[in-house]
Amino acid sequence: MDLTARLARAAVARASVLVVEVPGWVSTRWAAAAELRRRGWRAATSPADADVLLVCGAPGPRLAQACDAVWSQLPGPRARADVVGSDAVGAALDRAAAALVDAGQQRREAHGRPLEPVMGPPAEPSDAGDGDRHQDGPNEGGSDHGDTDHGDTYHAGSDHAGSDHGDTDHGDGDMAPGGIPLAGSGGEDRDGLEMDVLSVPLGPVLPHWPAGLLLHCTLAGDVITGARAEVLGPADGVPTPGNPRGSAPDRLDRAATLLALAGADAAATTAARLRDATLVGDEVARLAGAVDRLHRRVHRSRLLRWAMDGAGHLDAAQLDLDPCRSGTVHDRLVGLLADACAALGGAPVTRTPTPVDALPTVLAGLEMGSARLMVASLDVDPAAELDPAGAA
Amino acid sequence: MTGVAEISAAWAPAGAAVLLGVAAAAAALDGALAARADGRPLRAGVGLPVAETARLFRQRRRNTVSADVLLRWIGVGGLLVVALLKAAVVPLGGAVLADLPTGLVWFNALDVTVWALVWLVGWGQNSAHALVGGYRFLAQALAYELPLMFALTAPAVAAASLRPADIVAAQADLWFVLWMPVAFAVYCLALVGFSVWGPLETPVGADVAGGVLADLSGIDRWLVLVGRWTLLTAGAAFGVTLFLGGGAGPLLPGWTWVLLKTAVLLAALVALRRRLPALRPERIQAAAWLGALPLVLLQVLVVSVVVVGRS
Repeated sequence: MDLTARLARAAVARASVLVVEVPGWVSTRWAAAAELRRRGWRAATSPADADVLLVCGAPGPRLAQACDAVWSQLPGPRARADVVGSDAVGAALDRAAAALVDAGQQRREAHGRPLEPVMGPPAEPSDAGDGDRHQDGPNEGGSDHGDTDHGDTYHAGSDHAGSDHGDTDHGDGDMAPGGIPLAGSGGEDRDGLEMDVLSVPLGPVLPHWPAGLLLHCTLAGDVITGARAEVLGPADGVPTPGNPRGSAPDRLDRAATLLALAGADAAATTAARLRDATLVGDEVARLAGAVDRLHRRVHRSRLLRWAMDGAGHLDAAQLDLDPCRSGTVHDRLVGLLADACAALGGAPVTRTPTPVDALPTVLAGLEMGSARLMVASLDVDPAAELDPAGAA
Repeated sequence: MTGVAEISAAWAPAGAAVLLGVAAAAAALDGALAARADGRPLRAGVGLPVAETARLFRQRRRNTVSADVLLRWIGVGGLLVVALLKAAVVPLGGAVLADLPTGLVWFNALDVTVWALVWLVGWGQNSAHALVGGYRFLAQALAYELPLMFALTAPAVAAASLRPADIVAAQADLWFVLWMPVAFAVYCLALVGFSVWGPLETPVGADVAGGVLADLSGIDRWLVLVGRWTLLTAGAAFGVTLFLGGGAGPLLPGWTWVLLKTAVLLAALVALRRRLPALRPERIQAAAWLGALPLVLLQVLVVSVVVVGRS
């Protein structure tokens, strides 16, 4: 075996997969996560980190466009897999592995790609003619239309390769090097200093992020000063595999996401493995014991509480949310694990999901890390919002 | 007087190989522990550094629109260089590559260049998440740098020298870790801080899509990852020199003891890593300035009083 082929074999042993979940196909993502763990592969943190793009579910037009933009940002060698049913994941990843190892095919594919990064599509839909696109607009912190222009992109600005289409409608192209508008100025930071203002979208393709959620954020440094939320939905007419909201795997999955964002690797892995174990139908009594131990471990950990609670206390009544959302991020994490215990004990608790429209108010003024923890802790369910009947 | 001799610069490649080898071993242990947590055998994860290297050597370099290529390149390549230059002043038993009379200051000065390098990697990509990662590192460095400087001062005061070989010789009777534990603890925290690693890896955290790593691929990403592991290894070796008696130990030659102690310190850090949550800069700021800094100043005071009392 020649060196190139050996290098390829060694590389594929630890392939990195960017998993995209389409609203409604959470069970397919769970199947993918279990499959990655079985193979010793890992989930990518960004398009640049990924070898494989795995789309779980049938995306609608705008989400499909976002997936294509992200696909164009994978450095290569790369492989793409689109799966709908959770039973198709294993075979799709086998095909992806074979494609990654095939040097000839990768070389041919790379030949057709542009050497220089290209501009991506705008994060706003092309027909968004709501007339609120003002250049260097006043920073309406917390209001619904925080972003000053449609200078934002799909993958969270990590792709200025796929940046925006540079404000051509404002006629100030000369102030947009490489087609990227300069950061606006004039934003007042919390400490009264003037900050550069960036329009950055979070989602819809972002690990540990609610499926299909696109949050148009205005950032001053790393602080979110304003945001507007929307949900990019699935394709019409494709039946989704049902919504397991409130079930033990759903609660454990949300806890695992939160723990992963908090950097608590050991606890996050435990939660994810328990989620997978509930799905394959392990013995309930053993699982309930393990979930209870995790619940107590997380509940006791003062360091974790201190590390997570930068966002402070949330008052649910003031924001008209389910009363169980009151408290800190750590309180809500403990609540998720308690709900998982209850669901395994045969008494699942029904919680009203936090509507995505509540997010801008909650997130305004938070540092990005706190904001990510906040979003993950609030039990947001874009799939249920798109299909209220399915959520029942 | 100290029994440490400067060896020829021709040994530098061998020194670099040792540094990379120990760093790879630490990464392999980390991979093995991750594999066990995932319910797979330990040995399934040992190959992690090899697999990741193969993956990144095969991968294309990715560019971003209007990236500041020169600055990014300086930052990406600089981390490994800094780690190598730090390792050069660590006495490996009786041999050292650069026997600087101000070795301690050299180490600290290199440490400050890491501020610039990590920031340049974040800034140079022209990408929002990478930029946030860069901001985070500067804020983090603001928290660990002053406590680190005073933690470095304690052994220097006790040995009445800035030369690493003299500091090792001063520990012939008693390792410094035993009577300056606070300085050692603060040094270990700062060590994971300037290596952007473990609980202080939020500049490359999962919550900012990889932060300063967000848009790096191929050899660029490999250099930053290797830079972080080698900074951790060089820092651990320097910690052994300052606090754990360097090459002192029975039977075995001095260089084996340095490697052994470095390996044990690294293994302890790797084993602890998975249990600790990420400590974001805004959370640690108060603890660093109001807790660690006064404590380490008290430590330096105690050391100074002891030294004056002895003389």
